[in-house]
Amino acid sequence: MTHAFRAVQWNRVKLVYDAAVFGGIALYLATFLLAGAWLWPAAHPVTWEIQRIRAVGSCAFLMLTIILAIGPLARLDPRFLPLLYNRRHFGVMTFVVAATHACLVVTWYHAEGRLPALVSLLVGNLHYGSFIDFPFETLGIAGLVVLFVMAATSHDYWLKFLTPPVWKGLHMAVYGAYGLLVMHVALGVMQTERSPLVPLLLGGAFAAVAVLHLAVDRVAPLGDRVPEEGWIAVGPPLAIPDGGARIVAPPGGERIAVFRDGMRIVGLTNVCAHQNGPLGEGRILDGCVTCPWHGFQYRLEDGRSPPPFTEKIATHRVRLRGGIVEVEARPLPPGTATAPARLAAADRVGENHG
Amino acid sequence: MKRPHRVFHRRLWPVLAVAVALGLGLALAWRPPSPLETSTTSGQ
Repeated sequence: MTHAFRAVQWNRVKLVYDAAVFGGIALYLATFLLAGAWLWPAAHPVTWEIQRIRAVGSCAFLMLTIILAIGPLARLDPRFLPLLYNRRHFGVMTFVVAATHACLVVTWYHAEGRLPALVSLLVGNLHYGSFIDFPFETLGIAGLVVLFVMAATSHDYWLKFLTPPVWKGLHMAVYGAYGLLVMHVALGVMQTERSPLVPLLLGGAFAAVAVLHLAVDRVAPLGDRVPEEGWIAVGPPLAIPDGGARIVAPPGGERIAVFRDGMRIVGLTNVCAHQNGPLGEGRILDGCVTCPWHGFQYRLEDGRSPPPFTEKIATHRVRLRGGIVEVEARPLPPGTATAPARLAAADRVGENHG
Repeated sequence: MKRPHRVFHRRLWPVLAVAVALGLGLALAWRPPSPLETSTTSGQ
């Protein structure tokens, strides 16, 4: 929630998150470098410089793999939500580690030739027509450029400036970058390094991320059936958890989160105004719907953030018909007040005994 | 995610998964033999 722009909004959770990521990076690099003697047997020793390049490069790849796994994991199991909270800092750190890998490569392999280092990197291999000899460095550079764009636009200033849908669309380029970086490793170090660990870890990491993203699409339907008059059946009132929501998906429209707060039932868009997070997977705290991603809050009665904040989201009419909660598929303009559907006291008896 | 993003995500991942799996498989299958294997073969 923002009512005035502030450059940095640190809190204890963010500091702990960042410290954990820093600690993880340090631990990984130390372990990788110390285990070098075991990873590369005496028959195929690698120099200290190459070991550093591989340590930093594999660290960046692992970080990107974790980042891409966090989103679907948090959708499939709420226990992973804390990892999502400060994922943007994680992403910026991933870019820094990846850029360090690129700098080490350029200074080690290309700094002492006749050509300028970057030119040497770009013209050293021009087999663009070959698959197996394709210049894998180009794939790495392309991936790094995408990571740079992600990192440079990660701040809330850019989120506000570009608007959440454009920002989110731009940041989906990271999926393509991941594919490029998998091929960067496959056509790079996997061609020279014969250890089965490289293809196993590389393939395993990509398979895990792909399966998670494909799985999350299966649990989130694109559209429910809309009966007459444009109202969607949500289910019996007590099927909606108290303080939580059920999510329905009108065909062709945004998903709707139908919340129950004790005796009141309201309909709000499932899309948070901040980063388009899934509001219906959040909870009602202090009388407000709270986004599970970054804690943005909206009042139940009109979808507006409590003062002094100014965000607002679309609301939906709800009604009770024949003991079934129904929500209107058509959204009302953001911030429009709606009357909640109210349960009779008798309706809650079933909850207490159910 | 808004609906267009979800639709894009739903279409992208199967294509990306197949393309990268194919690329990875080919990169593995067409890997040149290691210098150790080459010298062993030529020695025979």
